[in-house]
Amino acid sequence: MVSLLRNQKVRNALLQALYVGSLAATVLACVMIARRNLAEQGITSGFDFLFKSTGWDVNFSLLPATANDPNWWFFLIGIVNTLFLGTTGLVLATIVGTIVGLARTSSNELARLLGRTYVDIFRNIPLILQVFFWYALITHLPTPRAAHEAFGMLLTSRGLYVPVPNVGGTALAAAMLAVIAAIAFPVWLGRTPRLNQPFGERSTIQLASAAGALACAAILLAVGRLPDLPLLDFPALQGLNLKGGLRIPPEFSALAGAIAIYGGSYIAEIVRGGFKAVGKGQMEAALSLGLSPWRVFTQVRLPLALRAMLPILANQYVWLMKATTMGIAVGFTDFFMIVALTINHSGQTLEVIGILMAGFLAINLSLAAVFNRINKAIALKGNQLRG
Amino acid sequence: MEIVVVAPPAPGRLEDLKRRFFATPLQTLLSLISLTIMALIVWKLLDWAVFSAVFTTTGGPEACQAAAGACWSVIAARWRIILFGLYPFEEQWRSALACVSVVVMTVLSCMPAFWTGRRIALVWGAGTGLYYVLMKGGVLGLPYVGEEAWGGLALTLFIFVTTCLIGFPLAICLALLRRSDLPWISRTTGLIIDGVRSLPLISILFTFAVVLPFALPQWLQGDKLYRVILGSALFFSAYQAEIVRGGMQGVPAGQEEAAMALGMSYWQRIGRILLPQAMRNALPATINQFVISFKETSLVVIVGFFEILASGNAAYGTGEWRFAYVEVYAFIAFIYFVFVFSLSRYGAYLERRMAVGER
Amino acid sequence: MDSTLPSGPAVHIEGLDKHYGSFHALRKINLSVDRGEKIVICGPSGSGKSTLIRCINRLEQHDGGRIAVLGTELNDDVGNIDGIGREVGMVFQHFNLFPHMTVLENCMIAPVIVRKRPRAEAETTARRFLEKVRIPEQAMKFPSQLSGGQQQRVAIARALCMQPQIMLFDEPTSTLDPEMIAEVLDVMVTLASEGMTMICVTHEMGFARRVADRVIFMDAGEIVEEAPPEAFFTSSRNERTRQFLSQVLGH
Repeated sequence: MVSLLRNQKVRNALLQALYVGSLAATVLACVMIARRNLAEQGITSGFDFLFKSTGWDVNFSLLPATANDPNWWFFLIGIVNTLFLGTTGLVLATIVGTIVGLARTSSNELARLLGRTYVDIFRNIPLILQVFFWYALITHLPTPRAAHEAFGMLLTSRGLYVPVPNVGGTALAAAMLAVIAAIAFPVWLGRTPRLNQPFGERSTIQLASAAGALACAAILLAVGRLPDLPLLDFPALQGLNLKGGLRIPPEFSALAGAIAIYGGSYIAEIVRGGFKAVGKGQMEAALSLGLSPWRVFTQVRLPLALRAMLPILANQYVWLMKATTMGIAVGFTDFFMIVALTINHSGQTLEVIGILMAGFLAINLSLAAVFNRINKAIALKGNQLRG
Repeated sequence: MEIVVVAPPAPGRLEDLKRRFFATPLQTLLSLISLTIMALIVWKLLDWAVFSAVFTTTGGPEACQAAAGACWSVIAARWRIILFGLYPFEEQWRSALACVSVVVMTVLSCMPAFWTGRRIALVWGAGTGLYYVLMKGGVLGLPYVGEEAWGGLALTLFIFVTTCLIGFPLAICLALLRRSDLPWISRTTGLIIDGVRSLPLISILFTFAVVLPFALPQWLQGDKLYRVILGSALFFSAYQAEIVRGGMQGVPAGQEEAAMALGMSYWQRIGRILLPQAMRNALPATINQFVISFKETSLVVIVGFFEILASGNAAYGTGEWRFAYVEVYAFIAFIYFVFVFSLSRYGAYLERRMAVGER
Repeated sequence: MDSTLPSGPAVHIEGLDKHYGSFHALRKINLSVDRGEKIVICGPSGSGKSTLIRCINRLEQHDGGRIAVLGTELNDDVGNIDGIGREVGMVFQHFNLFPHMTVLENCMIAPVIVRKRPRAEAETTARRFLEKVRIPEQAMKFPSQLSGGQQQRVAIARALCMQPQIMLFDEPTSTLDPEMIAEVLDVMVTLASEGMTMICVTHEMGFARRVADRVIFMDAGEIVEEAPPEAFFTSSRNERTRQFLSQVLGH
């Protein structure tokens, strides 16, 4: 026995079995205890609760929602809300980050100073504090009766009211798709060299197809327009309340705004790092070939910098997506808040925690998959060295 | 096209200014835009925060609300609740001293003289111990104050420090387990690390605060505060473990072989050869992780702790200071900024110094 | 299983086999090294000579055959393996000095923490061996402040401080500039003259001629030839050996 314990291979096998076994035993014990405790409270484990109605309501949803809807539908609402908030925050943060990052790399000292001040301030204050701040700021805005007005939008303590087109839902969705196509198709065309040979000049086709898609969108909007109403529905005061337009709730604007500002400061640093990674030699080579500064930027610096920053950017996007869970701080029904509320109401703790983990795993994995695709595409493009 | 002047004839002040900011039309435009933005912000900010602001409490909230600028009186009236929460008023000097001990501890651990495993452990052990004794009392004639009465900045610092204190050794353990030669150990650990990293911190805090009591026997549950600290330490360690592992990968394999050839045991090799070098490699990333972790400490407000954000909300939320939320948030933001900015500047300085050292 | 072999030879290797995945690194190696004997192993790169000596102090684990060092068989028995590092010293191609310690600390750490010697005694020993490798004045410097030749001499001193019975050298001079090779080889010659058991992987044929009791030529994981230096250099009949020698000595 003693000599067996002195054997390296036996030791290794024992160690591994002990490690994995004790972890598994801990998890198992926790689950058993939890099931017993929950059973004592009259909660039976299982996923039946998913199909029961929730009995409570959400304050923000892109999908139709009532208190009679089943729990699984609410989880879906939560995921859609998270993705919507995340994507909005992500896009805004990227815009902010790109502008600030470019300012930080610019040759102008004042612009650099401005960019640096921005990054130093907003990066060093916790995101949740910024969320609280913007939320407090918005909810302390004047009531609808004394709303601030700008460009047809109304700023009130109950949210931001923006004009919306008076167009049927299907037509609006189709028009949006057409607009996306108007942007995506020319881009795709530009990246597919073999296709454009038989049709002549690439830029002509790109322009033509974009214009065609936009025209489509315009026709769709005109056709789908609701009868007897102006094309745009402006929010306006009626009695004590605001009617018309689209209300963006303060929770959403505070979160999206804070994520944009905070995330922007991080993305600005990534952008700056990306441009710093582009060697001076490549730029000088391009300049010496007689390319204009603009073409050097768009065709040499930008593509190279983009490739350098993409992997870090991917991590940052995953982080921003996870930051949407701060919704619970101001009462925005994101996926995590739905999870917390479901636990409170149904008591199905273990199952719901399982769903929470699965949900975030799915979000993370799909984001990673998307970025891997982009990474590959860009790497290919870099090899071909085209415009 | 830009015209590059070779060796300009000793520019005067004006020419220098012109060259730096107004060399081309684009530059001029950029400079003017930047200047306008800066002037506007600086002026508005100064006007709000200084010129039109009220600093004294003499007028009370009413006079303050009437002022055009900031109402700093709210800070003067409520700073104690923001910094110390609901800690007994006449004992708050202990809370202040406890905060000081944590700050001193942090400053000490930024000095290279303390960068050995034993010394850093000593500094952190002593700092945290001092904090705990001061806050909790019950000894040396200090009246007892339970954790439920801790709050404000003091609680924030406590959660941060204990998170690091538990999370750091845990991170090293996880990193060692993940690079183990034994496949089942490294794979299982990898699964744990990646799993924790894929979850948002809030969900982990929530699980530890609210769900865990269901899954633990009564005698293991402990105080909610310590459960949340454990959760936050777990999250910290999952990230820090990857940083430590990166640092270990930077140590050449020959180092461990040499140690092995000298007859050192596994723990001697890890403790004397691998970790000292790995930690040095990982230092800038580690400080960055500390910075992130300090900012994320603020999330415990969501699971119901009276840390600095919650105490800030309370400071303006009740009664006559309801209007002064911007000032309160600005004050808290400033506190965070001081901590986080100095720590991240220090990290950047270290990174530069180490980059030079490599050359 | 009987884990002790007759305590005669310093190293006794029988039918040694070693694979890296599908690559057969060592094939049926038989070698016996007596106490006090000096062996030089040479051969083209990838011939398995480094792997062989790394098996002797268990930096690599063999998959077939037996190795006994100082009468103790190297197998899965944890107790046997622990002792080996103390009795077998090794000098590496890339020195592998610990960069975060001074020269003196490099030499003291193993005696203090492995052999549990008092610090004062370990320091005296370390200084004695630094003297022996002729760099006593560098004791307080860090490895990065020394030249390659100096670093390698520190590495030799570090290994000697454990007072091993066998020294292994894994191409100790192959990364050094010519003028530094001599200073390292000088130290090795001195060491040999004092009766240390040495197994050296090296291409320094002058050193082999001067010091070695036997020269071993390896190729493709096998011992191709084994002979006293004089016979090895002058009258080798093996084609592969002759070709290798002409390449090494040719210029």
